[in-house]
Amino acid sequence: MATERKLGLSRAVIMGLGGAIGFEIFVLLDYAYFDLAGPTMVSALFLCGLINLLTMFSYSELSAAIPKVGGEYTYTKAAFGGLTAFMAGCLRWLASVFGGALAAVVFAQQLTYFFSIFIPAVQNFILVSTPLIAAIVVIILAALDIKGVKEATILIVVAFLAIFAVFLASGLWYGLTPPEVLPRASLGGLSGFFAATAYTFTMFVGMRALVAGAPQIKEPGKNVPRALLLSTVLLTAVYCGVAYVAVGVVPGEASVGSPLLNFAAERIMGEIGGVRIGGILFAVAGMIASISSVSTAMMVQSSILGGMSRDGYLPKVLLRVHRRFGTRYVAVIASSLFVILFSAIGAVEFLGYAASFGSLLVFALVNLSLMKLREKEPHLKRPFKAPLYPITPIAGIVMSFLLLTFPVLLRDVNAESALIFGLGLMALVLTAYYLRMVGRYRLRVAMGGISLGMGVLLALLIPLLIPRLPLYVLIFVSAVSIIAGVLNVTARTRKIF
Amino acid sequence: MRVRRILVTIVGIAQGAIGVLAGILAFILYFNFLGVQTTLNVSAEFLPLYLLILSVFSFFSVISGFFLIHEEIE
Repeated sequence: MATERKLGLSRAVIMGLGGAIGFEIFVLLDYAYFDLAGPTMVSALFLCGLINLLTMFSYSELSAAIPKVGGEYTYTKAAFGGLTAFMAGCLRWLASVFGGALAAVVFAQQLTYFFSIFIPAVQNFILVSTPLIAAIVVIILAALDIKGVKEATILIVVAFLAIFAVFLASGLWYGLTPPEVLPRASLGGLSGFFAATAYTFTMFVGMRALVAGAPQIKEPGKNVPRALLLSTVLLTAVYCGVAYVAVGVVPGEASVGSPLLNFAAERIMGEIGGVRIGGILFAVAGMIASISSVSTAMMVQSSILGGMSRDGYLPKVLLRVHRRFGTRYVAVIASSLFVILFSAIGAVEFLGYAASFGSLLVFALVNLSLMKLREKEPHLKRPFKAPLYPITPIAGIVMSFLLLTFPVLLRDVNAESALIFGLGLMALVLTAYYLRMVGRYRLRVAMGGISLGMGVLLALLIPLLIPRLPLYVLIFVSAVSIIAGVLNVTARTRKIF
Repeated sequence: MRVRRILVTIVGIAQGAIGVLAGILAFILYFNFLGVQTTLNVSAEFLPLYLLILSVFSFFSVISGFFLIHEEIE
């Protein structure tokens, strides 16, 4: 079913901001500030914005030239095809799953903070139930996504921007201790700075929701690049401003006992009638932002899965559209299950790194795709061209790989775990791709051969195994394996998945 | 062809069930439920080997059984 183009520039910007803005800032700043970079976290965020902008130029060119469902997967497929596209799609999907899981965990954390103010007795119960709460949030939002509810996005983005405007104004009114935001030219200083950049990078990448949603945008050749650039500039300004105020409010403190932004808001906005108004405002904002991000992540995930199943890499059932609501409900449900699984882990630092690493690799692949397509398809109609080519994509690729290596050089255990886990998942992806390429018929013949071999081997080993297992059991298992092997080897189907 | 279809269904279900049971046996053996390690005279030294054999057997049996059942469904 073709998707209707009904969103203009302003809605496209809101879609980008709705995907990127939000929950990450409520949780990632803590670790980046207290454990990695200190006040230089502000510069790290600026660097994130810059790297994001570099790759957004590539995104803009590619999305305008190839305005199809699937985003990064579609671009890498056009440039490289096959395995690279499959890997890009899987990486993008995984990064989105990790991001969605992180958002659900943040919702639960902010809920805990909220209850710590009003009903402290319930706080511990909620803290223990974080994975359950995260799972419930995902289930509710998946149900809403299946119904196609999207109208809340505008309100969420506007409310979020308003809250941060109040925070910035209050911070400047309160009077800040100007933090030292530039990193020192030492190995330790630079490592922490780059590690914080890698860790917080995921705060920006949600903007790709705009690229994935390009088929819904009117005049995509003109509106998508503009919306991407506008979103990036707005987002960088907001994030750097908020981080600057937060760092200026809590200079040199080892830990504050509650989320950094909530604490800073409490301090600068004070209390009204004995109620910590700033903290409450931020808890509500954090919950709203988390919900917005989980919802957008679901949309992105179903779009990617749709693109990959359209090309036969994944089962066609993922393309099934709900008769009443017109949404890809099977893809939404499949993605939700993974989001629930990872949100149950509840490890914020691990999920933060995992989401960032996946996104950085995808960014590198997108930049490579841009370069490849410029060479392979020089006459492709490009309504928007990335400026300063080839400097922009090369800089994007180099920065992505630098950010991937610095946290590991710093021996950050969370980064190492995320990297190892990511490599394991990629091995699974490669295996799945290989099996897909082998085709069902050959796979079935191979399984038949293995089954036949197992049955014969078992028959030969029967004399050795008799003391431990009954003879009739061994003969039965051996016979079934041999017959099954023969039936699979002699199968006539040649259907390829 | 009718004989083959019946055979495919029966053998597919049997092999799938054997695969699942082998997996369950590996699980029971690993956690030593009901002292099964002693009952089957499995020493701790050879336990990893038995678990590996059972897991591999279970994995391939389930997939092979699945292919047969799937043929019948199609």
